[in-house]
Amino acid sequence: MILGIMLALIAGSLVSLQNIFNSKVNEYTGSWSTTTLVLGMGFVASFVIGLMVEGTQLFALQNLQVWHMLSGLTGVGVVICLVQGMKRLNPTYSIAIVLTSQLVTALMWDSFGWLGVEKIPFTLNKLLGVIVIVGGILVFKFGESKQRSVSSSK
Amino acid sequence: MRGIIFSILGGAFITLQGVANAQISQQLGTWQAATLTQFTGFLMALMILLIVRDGNRQGFKQIKPLYLMSGSFAAIIIYSEVTAIHQIGITFTISALLIAQLCLTFLIDTQGWFDVPKRKMNLPQFIGIAMMVAGVVILKF
Repeated sequence: MILGIMLALIAGSLVSLQNIFNSKVNEYTGSWSTTTLVLGMGFVASFVIGLMVEGTQLFALQNLQVWHMLSGLTGVGVVICLVQGMKRLNPTYSIAIVLTSQLVTALMWDSFGWLGVEKIPFTLNKLLGVIVIVGGILVFKFGESKQRSVSSSK
Repeated sequence: MRGIIFSILGGAFITLQGVANAQISQQLGTWQAATLTQFTGFLMALMILLIVRDGNRQGFKQIKPLYLMSGSFAAIIIYSEVTAIHQIGITFTISALLIAQLCLTFLIDTQGWFDVPKRKMNLPQFIGIAMMVAGVVILKF
């Protein structure tokens, strides 16, 4: 369990860095140039590390199914929705909604076991935990100093 | 209203991405899943880029290499997230991930690292982080 938490924390830290660096790229180019570059870099890095770790096993795709290929589209969906959301709302609102939606979707996914995920029974504690986290996100995001949330509209 | 719907869908897509990678990794392997999803995503984004042709290509020259490389973090992000989901479930993974993400972003903001405009640390941020950690503890009991 500790390992799982550590890995989730590492992933979250890298997502934070990636968001900051990507928004820098976005400032100079455009959102689709940025997305293409980001996913391309991600592909090259995964491919190289995959080759080092797995060798030619990386190409052993006997269990490949059609929906596996479609999963890459989620990355494109993320970009479209985030860009459109930010364009229409104050960034603080948009980010708060995105984070909340991530958590609520996660809880629903665990509880319903969609896509063949191992079901983790829904309990009131889980709901309460998610509500408290969402509350924390809202306090965090809406308590930010004004000067920057106005000036940077990413 | 449409902004709210896009934001809700955006969050749902982020979670879906993690779950889909976790499921594919069980059938193909984690690095296979990461390589495949990044590749198909890249092709799709490239197609859209060729149609909309946004931004200027000259802009890339002014960007620090570190920022241009940040996409490669995805390899480690996907590996870590997928392994975490297998170990501790989706809700717990996303919760821990978001806390780390918000804390580091906030630290960078307050220190002004990476040429980010400096921002002051306020009481609501401490309360917010305390609530998020409390929520994760509640999740686990």
